[in-house]
Amino acid sequence: MAREKTRAGKHLSEMMMNAYMGIHGRAAEGAFVVWGAIIVPPEIFRGFENVVLCVPESHAALCAGKGIGSEECLKAEALGYSMDLCSYARIDIGSLSDGYQDSPTFGLPKPDLLVSDNNNCSLLVKWFDVHRREMGVPHFILDVPFCYGPQREKDLAYILTQFRDLIAMVESMTGETFDEDRFREAAHHTAEGVRQWKRFMSFAKHRPSGLTVFDSFVQMAPLFTSRGTPEFAEHYKLLADEVAERVAAGIFPVPDEKYRLLWDNIAHWHQLRKMSEHLAALGVNIVAAPYTSCIGSLEGSFAPFDLDEDTDPLWHLARSQNHSVCPMGLDLRLAALGSAIEEVGIDGVVFASNRSCKVFSVMQMDEQRLIGEKYGLPTVMIDVDHADVRKFSEQSAYLRLEALLENIEAGRGG
Amino acid sequence: MKNAQAMIEQLRKGGKPVVGCFPLYPPLELMHSMGLLPVVLWGLRDSVSDTRDADRHVQPYACSVARQLAQFVIADGPGLLDGLFFYNACDTLRNLPELLREGIACSRRITPPMFRVHVPMKEDGASGYLASEIGNLIKALQASYDVSFSEERFARSVSLYERARWLCRRLEDAVAEGVLTFAGFSAALARANFLAVEDQIALLESALADCEGSITQPSATRVIASGILPPPPVICDLIEQAGLRVAGNDIASMHRSYAFSPEVWDDVRDYYVAFYRDHFPCTTLLHTADRRVDAVVDIVSRRDADAFVFVGEKFCEYEYFELPYLEQQLKESGVPVLSIEVSIDDDGSAETFRTRIDAFAEFLSGREGRHGA
Repeated sequence: MAREKTRAGKHLSEMMMNAYMGIHGRAAEGAFVVWGAIIVPPEIFRGFENVVLCVPESHAALCAGKGIGSEECLKAEALGYSMDLCSYARIDIGSLSDGYQDSPTFGLPKPDLLVSDNNNCSLLVKWFDVHRREMGVPHFILDVPFCYGPQREKDLAYILTQFRDLIAMVESMTGETFDEDRFREAAHHTAEGVRQWKRFMSFAKHRPSGLTVFDSFVQMAPLFTSRGTPEFAEHYKLLADEVAERVAAGIFPVPDEKYRLLWDNIAHWHQLRKMSEHLAALGVNIVAAPYTSCIGSLEGSFAPFDLDEDTDPLWHLARSQNHSVCPMGLDLRLAALGSAIEEVGIDGVVFASNRSCKVFSVMQMDEQRLIGEKYGLPTVMIDVDHADVRKFSEQSAYLRLEALLENIEAGRGG
Repeated sequence: MKNAQAMIEQLRKGGKPVVGCFPLYPPLELMHSMGLLPVVLWGLRDSVSDTRDADRHVQPYACSVARQLAQFVIADGPGLLDGLFFYNACDTLRNLPELLREGIACSRRITPPMFRVHVPMKEDGASGYLASEIGNLIKALQASYDVSFSEERFARSVSLYERARWLCRRLEDAVAEGVLTFAGFSAALARANFLAVEDQIALLESALADCEGSITQPSATRVIASGILPPPPVICDLIEQAGLRVAGNDIASMHRSYAFSPEVWDDVRDYYVAFYRDHFPCTTLLHTADRRVDAVVDIVSRRDADAFVFVGEKFCEYEYFELPYLEQQLKESGVPVLSIEVSIDDDGSAETFRTRIDAFAEFLSGREGRHGA
């Protein structure tokens, strides 16, 4: 049975509607519109009064969540884009191609500047190049070196230089001067929101867990629309408080929690409700995912990387550019994954091998083996696609998940 | 051609450390100047009969380049290679180094030393950053192999590699003139890849000498071949059997690799800043995207080609992201495009491409005023 929307759930819906309408409204009033990749720091653009940021990946995820991902992908494929390309990119290119006719947010306002990066995935640069050619707007590439170990000082300095170049570019294009105070304030709103996010996530340690991974996937949305605002921090405080209250009152999303699993990959947005209901009925709770645990951390760890008053926020943003799993090598991923397994208390791991996200997925076969060896945990690999339901076989996924549960039971001697 | 294993075995007999490199544009001149023998591990199709070891580490939706590379290094790397060098390219390849380490470790063998450089994907070349990366690489190579670096030796190595690239360009001319088949040219380059640069030069000079006095083939419909790898020999045959001649190419391991070397530079760091910044446009060098269409149109024009044939490697996202735009631009310039996709599993089924290639050739022959029409 579907769970009723909580206060934070309703607040999230309102917040998302306001965010997208706000972006459209400000663009219509003449604001300078930036399209940025998800790891490009929004706080930089909050340092300008008349600049708004849109995140195409987030819009694509929303389309997939609303069930129109494959239809939008088809539009891109009709333009010649291969079905093997990332489904976020195909949704974005497809939905733009017909003027966002089916978009749940009325699309995104036309950009004045594109800012991609190659840390989360280098394909983002190619994807944004498609828009650059189509729309004739400049494209700034944030070139972030991949981390096989802790981020190097020289890489940090290189990223900082590029942040400053980006600021100079926006200043030059808008004629507006970057306001350090506005930027600092935005960075601290984000930091407070991320603290509350970590507090929310910490309730996964409770038995039964105070949240499911599906809750955390859905609640990520403000990270891509509202970072750097007071509303961002307020929302996550509301969310964390609500979960705290529910845990105190003995209200849990999967009360009869028999199996606590970890999900390794991006959310498969088209299946969230269906899978959460299916698993809950089996007493299964996927309680954690590196995808959501990495927020507010550094590479190789899910521990909080906080911003204090004495720290330069630009430095802080540059230092955390490799946090999002994809820009990390195997050793760092295993270190972070291991800490989640130990801290949250996990019975098994679901490696979601995602055809649309090679950067996340091409490492999982070794992760699966090594996690099994080190922690003796049952694991399973299932095939998914984060936004194109045509590449997902429900039957095959559930069959494998059930085999994982049997494995866990066998390990318990049950 | 002997397979890569046999060629590298032969190389090792010279006593110099052999460093396997990927992806396509590593600092070959630098390694050579320090007494190492770099080989680019690309296009290992003929040297890998299956991918059974790689399949334990890399999903089947990675491209054949990555899977065959992984198979080669895991199965044969420890016995053949004294080092591995990587720089950042696509998402799959940047994930590979540790997977190769794990693959080798699973069979209880020792992984050769690994060297990594981050090549800036910036139009301005990010010269300070790259200079520091090159400096670090020199130190790491010195420490691992007890070798030294000198600018004089580096300049000599640059001259040798430029000579090899120049010979490749002349052989490409010979293909365009019809005195050398594209399949023959492609095979020569594949062989040269696993030779020391001095031997590459001898091989390419000999191939060029063989072209002199050869009879020019009758005029044919001229096409430009493009892709991350040369088309498999069986597809080259189908192209020729259809009456098409590959008169030029935009192939990553061919023209994109030998088209450019910096002419003016101050030192090793300056050389590589220019090398990567001004490189012939390639889908794998993100900052060159703006120049790519013009560069491809220029090849079509210089080679007086009638059409463009893209032979794509399945799952090569870099190539497939750019293809629709490139195709559109070429068609708008009056250049027909045939796009076919090959995958690791296609070896026995290349005949399925015959109908498409024949139909394309017929279409081209029906156009007025074209070569061979």
